[in-house]
Amino acid sequence: MSTKPSARPPARGRKRHSEAGEIAQRPLDFSIIRRLYACTRPYVRLRTTLLVLVVLRSLQLPTIAWLTARVISGPIAAHDAYGIALGALAFLGWMGFTAYCFVYRSRLALQLGEAVVSDLRHQIYAHLLRLPMSFFKRTEVGRLLGRVIHDVDSVRIGVQDVFFVSVVQCGSMLVSAALMAYYDWPLFLVVLAMAPGLWAATRYFKRKTSVAYRERSESFARVTAALTESVNGIREIQSFAREGHNARAFAKQIDQHAQINMYSHRLGAMFQPVLSFNGQLFLALLLVLGGYQVMGGGVQLDALIQFLFLSTSFFAGIPIIGDQYNQALTAMAGAERVFRLLDTRPDWEDAPGASDFGRIQGRVELADVAFEYEPGRAVLSGISFVAEPGQAVALVGHTGSGKSTIANLIAKLYLASAGSVRIDGEDLVDKTSESLHRQIACVTQQNFLFSGTVLDNIRLGRPQASREEVLHALERLGVTDIILSLPAGLDSKVGERGVGLSLGQRQIVCFARAMLADPRVVILDEATSSVDSVTEARVQQALFRLLAGRTSFVVAHRLSTIVHADLVLVLEHGSIIERGTHAELLERGGVYAQLYREFVSAQALVA
Amino acid sequence: MSSSRVPSRLSPLARLLVLTWQYRAACLKVFVLQVLLLALGLGGLSLTGLSVDVLRHALDASAPAPRWPLGLAPPAELGTTEQLYGIGALVLVMGAAYALLSYAHAIQNGRIQHLRLVPELRAQVFDKLQRLSFPFYDQNGSASIINRVTSDVQAARSFVDGVMLQGGILILTLAVYAVFMLRADVGLTLACLGATPLIWLLTRRFSAWAQDAYQRTRDLVDEMVLTMSEGIHGIQVTKVFGREREELARFDAKNQAVVLQQQDIFHKASVFTAAVHFISQLNIVVLLGYGGYLVAKGRLTLGDLIVFANLLTQFAAQIAAMARIVNTLQQSLAGARRVFDVLDAPIDIQSPDGALKLGDSGAPALSGAVRFENVAFSYPGGAAALGGVSFEVPAGSCLAILGATGAGKTTLLSLIPRFYDVSAGRVLIDGHDVRTLDLDGLRRRVGVVFQQTLLFKQTVAENIAFGHPNAARADVERAARIAGAHEFIEALPEGYDTWLAEEGMNLSGGQRQRLALARAVFVDPRIMILDDPTTALDPRTEGEVLGAMRRVMHGRTTLMVANRLSTLRFADRIIVLEHGQIIEQGTHRELMAKDGLYARTARLQGIADAAVGLEPAPGLRESWV
Repeated sequence: MSTKPSARPPARGRKRHSEAGEIAQRPLDFSIIRRLYACTRPYVRLRTTLLVLVVLRSLQLPTIAWLTARVISGPIAAHDAYGIALGALAFLGWMGFTAYCFVYRSRLALQLGEAVVSDLRHQIYAHLLRLPMSFFKRTEVGRLLGRVIHDVDSVRIGVQDVFFVSVVQCGSMLVSAALMAYYDWPLFLVVLAMAPGLWAATRYFKRKTSVAYRERSESFARVTAALTESVNGIREIQSFAREGHNARAFAKQIDQHAQINMYSHRLGAMFQPVLSFNGQLFLALLLVLGGYQVMGGGVQLDALIQFLFLSTSFFAGIPIIGDQYNQALTAMAGAERVFRLLDTRPDWEDAPGASDFGRIQGRVELADVAFEYEPGRAVLSGISFVAEPGQAVALVGHTGSGKSTIANLIAKLYLASAGSVRIDGEDLVDKTSESLHRQIACVTQQNFLFSGTVLDNIRLGRPQASREEVLHALERLGVTDIILSLPAGLDSKVGERGVGLSLGQRQIVCFARAMLADPRVVILDEATSSVDSVTEARVQQALFRLLAGRTSFVVAHRLSTIVHADLVLVLEHGSIIERGTHAELLERGGVYAQLYREFVSAQALVA
Repeated sequence: MSSSRVPSRLSPLARLLVLTWQYRAACLKVFVLQVLLLALGLGGLSLTGLSVDVLRHALDASAPAPRWPLGLAPPAELGTTEQLYGIGALVLVMGAAYALLSYAHAIQNGRIQHLRLVPELRAQVFDKLQRLSFPFYDQNGSASIINRVTSDVQAARSFVDGVMLQGGILILTLAVYAVFMLRADVGLTLACLGATPLIWLLTRRFSAWAQDAYQRTRDLVDEMVLTMSEGIHGIQVTKVFGREREELARFDAKNQAVVLQQQDIFHKASVFTAAVHFISQLNIVVLLGYGGYLVAKGRLTLGDLIVFANLLTQFAAQIAAMARIVNTLQQSLAGARRVFDVLDAPIDIQSPDGALKLGDSGAPALSGAVRFENVAFSYPGGAAALGGVSFEVPAGSCLAILGATGAGKTTLLSLIPRFYDVSAGRVLIDGHDVRTLDLDGLRRRVGVVFQQTLLFKQTVAENIAFGHPNAARADVERAARIAGAHEFIEALPEGYDTWLAEEGMNLSGGQRQRLALARAVFVDPRIMILDDPTTALDPRTEGEVLGAMRRVMHGRTTLMVANRLSTLRFADRIIVLEHGQIIEQGTHRELMAKDGLYARTARLQGIADAAVGLEPAPGLRESWV
């Protein structure tokens, strides 16, 4: 039932290519912004408080610069000691208030970002779980997931930083500008004239930098991929004495990567001087123009000092906003992909009027069933057979002949394109998936275990089962000793961070999981890999016990399984070409008998 | 700069200093540029202050006269406007010079990091990694090994530019600023800097706390991502058992754990950032109050005050840099230790001096007879994996090894191409101890095919010619024909030039194994080692590979692990291993007659495998139904 590596479409390389072309930025899009804004609706109080704080901050920042200049050019220049003390105290008070606001402005923004992001993650996962198997068949979900996690984080930056920081900076630039305009028009015009140049330079560099950054991370990914390959392939490399050749190739790659790094470093190295020169240019203009005006009596010296401080605050905002703008574009692309995933419509869902299954007897009938994963490319056609309650059906055929697909249709992981799949006479289309899945169990070829304990994994079959019930299931399978001999018995950790179970042990756990569910119908994909002979015998024994008394469908790779089946279906190119018991099929002398003879003659030398 | 030149008994810190010394000329350039930048920066600032004083003096003769630096007072006949023009021009020129020099400075800095330190260190570490023996790979996870070449090298590198260079610059800058400010007014300087140590302390404490907290967050995020990706991989299980709700709840718990952990960080981080801002602004308060008082008293000019205000801002930035340098120092030491670990790791297995080059022109030809003499082996820190193993494989014959998982089959085979060296006893090829042979030559004459084949992300042809890059296409095709791979390769979209996806995932299991056979036979080895290459294949695919195996073995000494009778039948002799020891050996007939483990297994396979012709064990049959 699982998609085996060998059955994977050979189009992976091409897919990756198109993915590398996935856009990293997209222009601001009002509909996406509105939807992101809607994501903050559950946190409306947080959002409102933040907006108030943001407005406050954008007033505070320029007024700090203003106050400094005001004290210097006012009481200090006038040698007014009382005024100086008052000014310093006012400054202290204002600073304290600013800092206080800042604590909440940054904290609430972080909280809002985290809240929105965790909601999105929940929605994404819930949505993925709802999508039918066909989605997972055609999507490279692993890569999709990596991408989504990355995207969700760029959305976080958009929510928690970009919006609020931009508002604060724009606000304080406006206030600075207003103050400067108030103090001296001509000088303000100079500032205003310089701003577009600085903005253009900022955008130019930010754009280049983000392209360079992407190139750099792609290049780094290539370096890591090469490294991973040579670490995983060290046996091959050393056994073919390729060390020198590989080291040279890697050194070349490292050099390329170094050049790319240097390029993006150079961009940064150019941008900083542009900023500093802009400041110096303005200073020179201020001195010359301002000095000229002051001497002519047009302006007061204090206006000049104000400009010194306010212009710094004004110009500092430009690169910050440039940076935020860039991140906003990245967040747009991320949000668009996240929403696109959330908007994926399932190919099918249970029919609105679907009813629950009662207790299933286990008569399974396929009537003229056809199936296609993609329109026009039939995988199955004209499949009809009946399995009476308690019967074992073996599915035999080459890779790609449609064995697993039949199993998937019985489990209602897919819906038949034509014909009907019935259990106890009821068409699966009219029944809820959930009630079916409660009475059906699957053992896939990959023998998938979740991280957690062995007990957790077995309980997946029936979460409310007690430890005793689990032990009882093991007993009925006759595998108690195998599980209890694990390092911590039932409580042994498995999965990514647990002990590695052998293939045989994994199979046993999956059988136990199915046994505990006590299903009426069992679907089983025999492992193609062999385990060592002793364990193999135990696995076979457990298998027979699991299937006893239940209707079962086995995608068979072991002759012994086939020999014992009540019905053997031989498949080729999605059609049943022969059917019967092992003995009948041998007698008929068709394709099955031919297959069988190949096996026998291959083994003849030994016997 | 070879690793041997750095004495390994020095502490990591001392060795990092040695490393820095190797880049002294480049570092000196950066340093000189930095001095110039500092001078220009201060010059520009002084000019601003100066112009304010000039203006003020011109407007109000009672204001103190401007203090021209370095005694560069302009001629008296020059008017104030002209003086200002002069200063303006100077500011512009210095600004341009500053911009150019700071570009040069950044470029020089980048050159040291990106073009020299990192690539040189990476190439060294990688080269060494390639040569390290298997025990190293057994003891270190692949992620950790990869990190040594990527992030650990970066960390070690940051010692040179992030600690030594930045530290030097920092000390210089602070000294210059301090002198500059002290010259203006001692009391004011001290008062303004009073709060600075507080910033330093706060930063240190926070970053110590934050390191752990961020690590916890990262761990929790990893766990959450793992749960999600695991859930997707196991989606079929979840669906078939109807456990979507439980699975979502499992994920939500992990998701919430991240949110909860973050709250603490948000609280502390927001207070910390605001506090640092506030404290650094305290300096300005002092400046306004005390400095203002000094100006009022006529002990300081207004221009000096403005210069002071700017200097303070920069000073605060430098203090933050100091906290960063201390962090970098700690990280670079940790990274360096792990980099030096690799560079210092002994290469356990290498060619001995005066190694014998078998089969080269002039040297005796290699016939390929293999002999184990009382061989014992244990993995470092592990129990004995093999003990007292002796057997002989005449040149050109085939030996099969049978045994349960963990019996020591793979270990035994890996002693021949010296993936590991024996703990006791000897492994001989043509009567020579493998440890006396030239290692590359030995390995080229031993072809290995593993259970799980790793193919590289290159073209099919490159994968086959792995042992001899740049080989002629005809040779590649010959090898492919022997391994029965030519037909399916031709059928691939671009034939031999088809790129393989990662780990050859665009091929079937049988195709991968046939490519592995082609790759092994391509170098025309005398000895073939086949570590159960058909184990992961279904019986039908196995059939395709078996034919290829037989052709590959032809005329070569072969040792193979075999668990299925289908492969065992190729063998001239069979040894049965249990717990690292040979418990039976002989031909198939002899072993069947002996009625030991081999015979029992052979009978079991009648039911467990597709080995028809043997009666299924009766006990097992009863368990059915």
